[in-house]
Amino acid sequence: MEELDVPQMRREVESLQYQLAINREKSSITVTELVKWIEGCVCDDPFLNPELMRANPWVEKGKCVIL
Amino acid sequence: MAAEKAEIDALKKECDGLRTQIEAARKAVNDGNMSSAAGSATDVGRVQLKLRKSLKGHLAKIYSMHWSSDSRSMVSASQDGKLLVWDTHTGNKLVAVPLKSAWVMSVAFAPSGNLVASGGLDNMCTVYNIKAASPKTLRELDAHTGYLSCCRFLSDNEILTASGDTTCCLWDLETGKQKIIFTNHIGDCMSLALSNDENTFVSGACDSLAKLWDLREGTCKQTFSGHTSDINAIQFFPNGNAFVTGSDDCSCKMYDLRSDQEVITYQDASLNAGVTSLTLSNSGRLIFAGYDDFNCHIWDSLKGEKVGVLSGHDNRVSCTGVPADGMGVCTGSWDSFLKLWN
Repeated sequence: MEELDVPQMRREVESLQYQLAINREKSSITVTELVKWIEGCVCDDPFLNPELMRANPWVEKGKCVIL
Repeated sequence: MAAEKAEIDALKKECDGLRTQIEAARKAVNDGNMSSAAGSATDVGRVQLKLRKSLKGHLAKIYSMHWSSDSRSMVSASQDGKLLVWDTHTGNKLVAVPLKSAWVMSVAFAPSGNLVASGGLDNMCTVYNIKAASPKTLRELDAHTGYLSCCRFLSDNEILTASGDTTCCLWDLETGKQKIIFTNHIGDCMSLALSNDENTFVSGACDSLAKLWDLREGTCKQTFSGHTSDINAIQFFPNGNAFVTGSDDCSCKMYDLRSDQEVITYQDASLNAGVTSLTLSNSGRLIFAGYDDFNCHIWDSLKGEKVGVLSGHDNRVSCTGVPADGMGVCTGSWDSFLKLWN
């Protein structure tokens, strides 16, 4: 998996310069916002809000059968 | 010869220097952590799902599955040489697509529901029209020099592929030609995930790195490290600001795009099996990860704890998927069955 030739290495340098230049935001803000966003969606998540799972499309009328 | 080696050494030094600078930049913004941010989050408790259906039809290992955007149909691929399209409400098979090459590794449903695509050790991505009277091959996308590990439609006109040749590729389905080739990984690309706005995608590879790409420019925008082995699975969080990876190193990780770094690792001392696949519940709070230990383990994405397990397969879980309506999860296995749980 080693990059050996000069053109490939030059492209890697360019790519790393480009990646270095991005704007990074403080994780205290980004992680807090991520948690808030996910928490906000929990009521719309059928796995976590039993109300939404009432109309269950996969419930068998009778016994579960392996077809 | 010596001049070339000297230049390569100089360039290597420059790369190492840049990587060190990137790590420093990450450290500089790392003033928060997930355990403190998630401390106040509500507990999800144990997540106990019931097996609702076992879909039998394939005759060999299932390698891949993908939900249709209607949350009802689903397509699965097996090395028995077939793609099967299922109606998951009735359990019936709707369409069977015979494959030219049985060594399939990935399958995808187009958002329109008109097309499916698959590929594998044949190094090609073949697109089929499944709305025709009998499945018709629309395109054979043949340019990768390694196996096809993953494919995802943007529309009926464009598809993104990941390959063992270390590249990802955006194809134009009208011409059958490559539009953009994404090169930067130094190991087999194993998985990809599109952002909701379709401006970016993330890829996971055998170089243990995940990369974020600009879909239209073709450039690698960010590179995420941390895993110590092949990344087999990758999925975006619904808000597009983070993604989760699953690896042969037996862990899953969440990476935050905005602070450009790993935020939390999902691992357990008792779990010594590689992660083959993963999918998220609609809020992103639950991660369903398929492992080599025949189970699909459920993680609380915020607290980093295991909150449940889906047991029932008799072999490795190779693929998982939650449909768009979020009403359940499908697991597919080398035991040739697909199981639906909610």
